[in-house]
Amino acid sequence: MSQFLQPTILLLREGTDTSQGRAQIVSNINAVQAVADVVKSTLGPRGMDKMIQTGPKVTISNDGATILNLLEVVHPAARVLVDIAKSQDDEVGDGTTSTTLLAAELLKEAKPFIEEGIHPQIVIQGYRKALELALEKLEGFSINISRDSPQEKRDTLLKCAQTALNSKLLANTKQFFSELVVSAVEKLDPNILDRDLIGIKNVTGGSVTDSFLVDGVAFKKTFSYAGFEQQPKRFENPKICLLNLELELKSEKENAEIRIEKPEEYQQIVDAEWALIYEKLEIIVKAGAQIVLSKLPIGDLATQYFADRNIFCAGRVPQEDLLRVQKATGGQVQTTVNGLNPETFGTCGLFEEVQVGAERYNLFKNCPQSRTATIVLRGGAEQFIQEAERSLNDAIMIVRRCFKANKIVAGGGAIELELSRYLRHYARSVTGKTQYIVNSYAKALEVIPRTIAENAGLNSIEIMNKLRQRHAQGGEEGRWYGVDINGASGVCDTHSSFVWEPSLVKRNALCSATEAACAILSIDETVKNPKSDQDTKMKPKGQPGRPPMGMRR
Amino acid sequence: MSLAFDDYGRPYIILRDQGQKKRMKGLEAYKSNILAAKAVANTLSSSLGPKGMDKMLVSPDGDVSVTNDGATIVEKMEIQHPTAKLLVELSQSQDAEIGDGTTGVVVLAGKLLEQALTLLDKGIHPLKISDGFDRACDVAIKHLETISEEIDIQANEHEALIQAACTALGSKVVSKRKRELGKIAVTAVLDVADLARRDVNLDLIKIQTKTGGSVEDTRLISGILIDKDMSHPQMPKEVKEAKICLLTCPFEPPKPKTKHNINISSAEDYKKLYLQEQQYFVDMVKLVKDSGANIALCQWGFDDEANHLLLQNELPAVRWVSGTDVELIAMATGARIIPRFQEITPEKLGKAGSVKEVQFGTSNERMLVIENCQCTKAVTILIRGGSQMIVDEAKRSIHDAICVIRNLIKDNRIVYGGGSAELACAIQVLQYADEVSSVEQYAIRSFADALEGIPNCLADNCGLNPITSVAQAKSRQLQENNPRIGIDCMELGTTDMKEQRIYETLSSKKQQIQLATQVVKMILKIDDVIAPDDY
Repeated sequence: MSQFLQPTILLLREGTDTSQGRAQIVSNINAVQAVADVVKSTLGPRGMDKMIQTGPKVTISNDGATILNLLEVVHPAARVLVDIAKSQDDEVGDGTTSTTLLAAELLKEAKPFIEEGIHPQIVIQGYRKALELALEKLEGFSINISRDSPQEKRDTLLKCAQTALNSKLLANTKQFFSELVVSAVEKLDPNILDRDLIGIKNVTGGSVTDSFLVDGVAFKKTFSYAGFEQQPKRFENPKICLLNLELELKSEKENAEIRIEKPEEYQQIVDAEWALIYEKLEIIVKAGAQIVLSKLPIGDLATQYFADRNIFCAGRVPQEDLLRVQKATGGQVQTTVNGLNPETFGTCGLFEEVQVGAERYNLFKNCPQSRTATIVLRGGAEQFIQEAERSLNDAIMIVRRCFKANKIVAGGGAIELELSRYLRHYARSVTGKTQYIVNSYAKALEVIPRTIAENAGLNSIEIMNKLRQRHAQGGEEGRWYGVDINGASGVCDTHSSFVWEPSLVKRNALCSATEAACAILSIDETVKNPKSDQDTKMKPKGQPGRPPMGMRR
Repeated sequence: MSLAFDDYGRPYIILRDQGQKKRMKGLEAYKSNILAAKAVANTLSSSLGPKGMDKMLVSPDGDVSVTNDGATIVEKMEIQHPTAKLLVELSQSQDAEIGDGTTGVVVLAGKLLEQALTLLDKGIHPLKISDGFDRACDVAIKHLETISEEIDIQANEHEALIQAACTALGSKVVSKRKRELGKIAVTAVLDVADLARRDVNLDLIKIQTKTGGSVEDTRLISGILIDKDMSHPQMPKEVKEAKICLLTCPFEPPKPKTKHNINISSAEDYKKLYLQEQQYFVDMVKLVKDSGANIALCQWGFDDEANHLLLQNELPAVRWVSGTDVELIAMATGARIIPRFQEITPEKLGKAGSVKEVQFGTSNERMLVIENCQCTKAVTILIRGGSQMIVDEAKRSIHDAICVIRNLIKDNRIVYGGGSAELACAIQVLQYADEVSSVEQYAIRSFADALEGIPNCLADNCGLNPITSVAQAKSRQLQENNPRIGIDCMELGTTDMKEQRIYETLSSKKQQIQLATQVVKMILKIDDVIAPDDY
């Protein structure tokens, strides 16, 4: 900067941090590498977990998006990675780690070009071109699965679910859980496949294989008043009344004022209040309801009233559960009992209150319109179940995706290698700088099989050589060779060993990784405003960017 | 956390408060996690077995508790370390699911981690270790099922159940009275058990404690005990053939829920109001009397005036009975809970043989016992003991025993204790290990070693030479092909646990091994710890 002789022009607020130019791009790339390094070891079936403590809460996870989210990344460029991981999570639910790694690797490959003085836009163009070709090829490579018979379709879904669960804590019981997940998704309406309608409930205790699927709804026993135990706890084909109404003896209106003259009238007021609640209860009973669920509290009076009449009731049912009961039983939530119509009641095959671990659960089974399912997860420790829940979530998303799109590719790094081979081949046919860049893109793709092998403790160089050779021989049989973590040779045909993933996952991963890489490459200036006064007071720091040295406790 | 520098030598701030976060990676992370978890397990290991010792725990408020129950110890230790917390939850989930064996599960997890540490030092990939443990666990569970025996819970006046309860109570402070307490627990569970459905609702067994007397005075009341007395000292102390009226409304003039105030402008009005109030009381008592009730239990209170009126009308009453008690009484006596005086009908009354006020020792404390209820579905165990600490510990012990009996009613298969089941599994797992050709072999072998750690620990706690006695037991198991040989903790002269009648439920043992393996697997899978840097 050579403004020595010119008067300084103050453009920005004092303390604003600016950096620009090529160095800025390189610096951003380095930051991204640091973040990607954290999640690197979670990839693949031998990927490890991370334990992150935030305040009193401890999370143990293998899910890329979860980890990145908990890291609280503040670096502006590195945040891009967090965002793509999140978008991958929202869009397809799985493959968050590979997306992050791929983006980081693309940037790493771009770094020498930037340092050598190639304009970032040329790199970006090259990457975009490579992506276009890769996606086209991905489409061509992906295998259409026949879904003529429901059995075959189910098989495919099971395999995809198993691949998703491979790297998780549940890997050893993946058969069991893939069954669970696929059965749960099959319950949904095939046209909408609303994820919210699959409930996952956690109960500590028991072994993971004690987890079970309820074809219907299950929720924990709500807070109950005296008299609850006298209610029947089991019904067959009950009539279920869903309410969003408080059934309690209470004042009807706040701040109401009543003036009475005679003591006799006093009794009338009291009676009137009782009459109001009794009227409501009577309507419900007369309509023939056998189970009454309400989002709002059901008081002790109502509990006892229902107990006397062999009706089961539960108040303070969580909104989402009530919604799922509604979907499952075909009932409608009423906000008033006036004009309560038996047609608005839902029904199910069997209602039961059962003991699960130390909790009692209300189960609604065999629902007629069963468009919902609940998975009750068991396990040793709270963190264990939480991680299991995240893993199942991934698997559910994958199965959902698979349900719709019927194209798959083989995992274990096979598809990445095949795309890489193709791009290398293509690169030779172009002239100019693009050749280098497409080549780099091809090289970056190899990060996936390489990391899988590294994480499994295999010799990654040897395996990569073997795989490249297999793929270079080309043809149909070489195409699906990927990393094999169990066998002695380290490579196998992952298609025939059923490591299947929906091609949509890969497609989305490639797109968002490339986009993120391009976005970071095109940033050549960061203007960071100083923190507002309040913030600096709370966390006194010397200079921005320096760790507070004397502050260690 | 490690810092990265850009080309100008400025450090990156990638994470929030980066300087205050600590990160451990790879082997360092495994080791620190394992050591923390092991520390917890070591604390508990001396509590295992019939000669296990108790721990004294002082809470931040200065409350002292003395206990031998694993779940209680780890809960009150207030552990901070994130990995060690996993073991706490492990113990608690065993408590929630089974209720017994909470110490054993933590000790086993500790032994497994100890073995994992040596394997890690050998350079075996942590996931290979956990795969090996998983396979070994399956083998052990299968073997447990083959050596388990079905027992007839009905035979010989439920002798088997009593023995199992005794085993559970054996390690506790109340072990001297284990036979009596065991019998009480068995009777209590059988009273409320639904044998056809094999279901026991533990909510129906109320455990009431009272300091004073000794543990021998602990008794079972086939009815309900409530920590309340008659509202007026002159009311009869005992009501025979009681007809109970359960009220959830106070003995006072009704109040509208809508906000109100009363304005009185003249003396006549005041008198009128007074009379009106009097009339309410009279009506209320009359309504209760008319229904034929001879005792009223009220969830709410009533003032002295009402109290006096009740006495005059010879209607004994109890006030401030808690909601859960009201419910239990309703279940036991077949009463309906009545929310309004206007709704009292003779059908809604509950029936009990007697309602009696009992007094303990010289203290002026009284309790109400409701016995011979119409439909006995609820029972109470009244625990006595010299001090609050003993009583509390006795309560936890009886809870354990009750859980064991419940589990046996659910699943009547047992294995033998004294470390024999673990030894038998260890032998089986060791055999299996030799059949495995991959790296997992080492892990499987270590799993067997860890299982042997349990009898080892038992022998150690009993003052026996752990190595000799485990070696002897193991060789006898192999020679005689008898999976019931264990450690003779009580020095009864036989190591056959069938003769010693040390019974443990299959479900509890299975759960212990499964849960411990699960948590160890989880700990082994963590290779990166990011935490605030303050310890």
